[in-house]
Amino acid sequence: MKFDITLIFTVAAVWAALALAYALAPWSGMIGYAWVWGFGAALFLALGLALRRAARIGEGRA
Amino acid sequence: MNGPLVDRLAALSPGDRRLLVAMSSISLLALLGGIAGGVGVALARAGWIDLIPEAGYRLLTLHGVGIFFYWLFLVQGAILLALAAGEGGRGLVGRGLGWAGFALVLSGMVMSLGAASGGTPLLYDGNPELAAHEPGRLAAFNAGYILLGLGLIALPAAGVATLLAAVRRAGSLSAAGFALFAWAGFLMVSGFAMIYVFLPGLLWALGLGDMPANHGTNWHIVFHNMHYLPLMATVIVWYVLMQEVVGVKSIFGARFSKLIFAAYLVFVPPTSLYHMFLEPDLPGAVRIAGSLLSLFVSVPTLTAFLIIVASLEVHARARGGRGLFGWIGALPWREPAMAAAGFAVVNMAFGIVLAFVLIQAELAPLLSDTFFVPGYFHFFTVGTVSLSFLAALALILPALTGRGLALPGVARFMPHLATLGLLSFGGAGVVAGYLGVPRRVIDAGYGGEAPALWATLMGWVAAGGLVMAMALMLFALSVAATLLPGRASVAAMSPRWDGTAPPRPGAAALVGPLGVLVIVIGMYGATAAGFELMRALPVEAVGGGHAH
Repeated sequence: MKFDITLIFTVAAVWAALALAYALAPWSGMIGYAWVWGFGAALFLALGLALRRAARIGEGRA
Repeated sequence: MNGPLVDRLAALSPGDRRLLVAMSSISLLALLGGIAGGVGVALARAGWIDLIPEAGYRLLTLHGVGIFFYWLFLVQGAILLALAAGEGGRGLVGRGLGWAGFALVLSGMVMSLGAASGGTPLLYDGNPELAAHEPGRLAAFNAGYILLGLGLIALPAAGVATLLAAVRRAGSLSAAGFALFAWAGFLMVSGFAMIYVFLPGLLWALGLGDMPANHGTNWHIVFHNMHYLPLMATVIVWYVLMQEVVGVKSIFGARFSKLIFAAYLVFVPPTSLYHMFLEPDLPGAVRIAGSLLSLFVSVPTLTAFLIIVASLEVHARARGGRGLFGWIGALPWREPAMAAAGFAVVNMAFGIVLAFVLIQAELAPLLSDTFFVPGYFHFFTVGTVSLSFLAALALILPALTGRGLALPGVARFMPHLATLGLLSFGGAGVVAGYLGVPRRVIDAGYGGEAPALWATLMGWVAAGGLVMAMALMLFALSVAATLLPGRASVAAMSPRWDGTAPPRPGAAALVGPLGVLVIVIGMYGATAAGFELMRALPVEAVGGGHAH
């Protein structure tokens, strides 16, 4: 499960970097991309944390 | 997770099955209604029926809204929840959330389609400027999309809860389970994007905000997800179908499959820049960066294609399959789901070849407002994604209802027929696009002023459209028959291969790499043809701001 969790956190990190790039982009009108990918980064971070918690419970039972 | 998926689905509680059946039923209705709208548009463009432009645009709106939004997203919700319930093997967790999500999507569908049925046709992107004098209609249309967005957050949340419960019990996820988890997250982000993009128009219509000034730019956020989310879902469906219908698992192992599924989420967002190629104020360096990034967009799809084809080939050869292509005949083609998934792979190859023409910075401005766009994207929407989702329903619904497909012997040939229709629709459409035939016009003949070749090509488009529409409808109706009470019980599926048997040592898997080579050659050929053809045309490209 460590591999799965790492993949989800990697997605969150890439999306966060992308959101930051769009937020700082000098051309106008693309702030929406920053909001959407930023929401995605936060969501995948939360999903990664939830997956890690669930895996710990599952491994504890095994 | 034990035993075949169909057995785990059949063992679900009546409450779970009711939700999955209800979602599947409504998604099929959206598909059938959307197809009818599309047929009307294709016939009108060829001049085979006489429609006033407003009626044509209304049909185009109903086609786009019904299929792109409600069929594709509702069926994804149904498949995601079904596969998640199957992954855990103990049913859905948070079924109430699932019902709430379904109710939101259904309400959204009623509002969007209701608003699109009268007044000014807004097309599927709901440009608020078109409804400047009809704020009430725009409010209903956008409220529909916002409800869909909320539903797309709630529905996958039930899938996530189900998968997390499975991890808490077993301590791990299968490759398919991990893919479902990633897919659910991407669906929720798309739901948020829908809300973000369509809320300003709703607020304006209610007198609570200004008219959205950059709807065109924001629309591409949703549009990008609409493009790639169903494609990610399609590859997951293929992966599951190969396990469940053929009995073959990836020879590269679950870990590599997980890496590829995660790669979708890594590669797809950065490629969104290419939708901005028509914006005149986009800096040149960004344009070049977008063009380079767009090359990565098909990496996960092509890699997943390689994994699946190579795994099938190695196992088929272990079972005695001979010749470069001879092993393909050993696949269980008599299963409608197999036929649909198989032809979906073929159509994806055509779609990818043509898509690469359109995401190049030099060609995008010339082609984005031509019929090239509908010509190429139907290879994806109809030929790849819709066929794959119908294949998934052909597996899931009989397991849930205990009833078989209607006329399965006929249904299994519908993917062949749909592909034939697509070759005419898409082939003629792409050539028409290269020659400058515009999209989003109802009278493509311009009252007899257009070149004669345009009418001929639109005739091929209409004929092909009719064939693929009929084939898709018949396949969908065959699947929908599983929802009718009193029908015969489901027939036994073809025996699955022993996917756990070790492959023959030294067995070659050549068709996958060969397929990718052919696709790359096709991309090069289609791009070169595009440049050569358009150099010969007396046109000059100007920035439009529409993209596709």
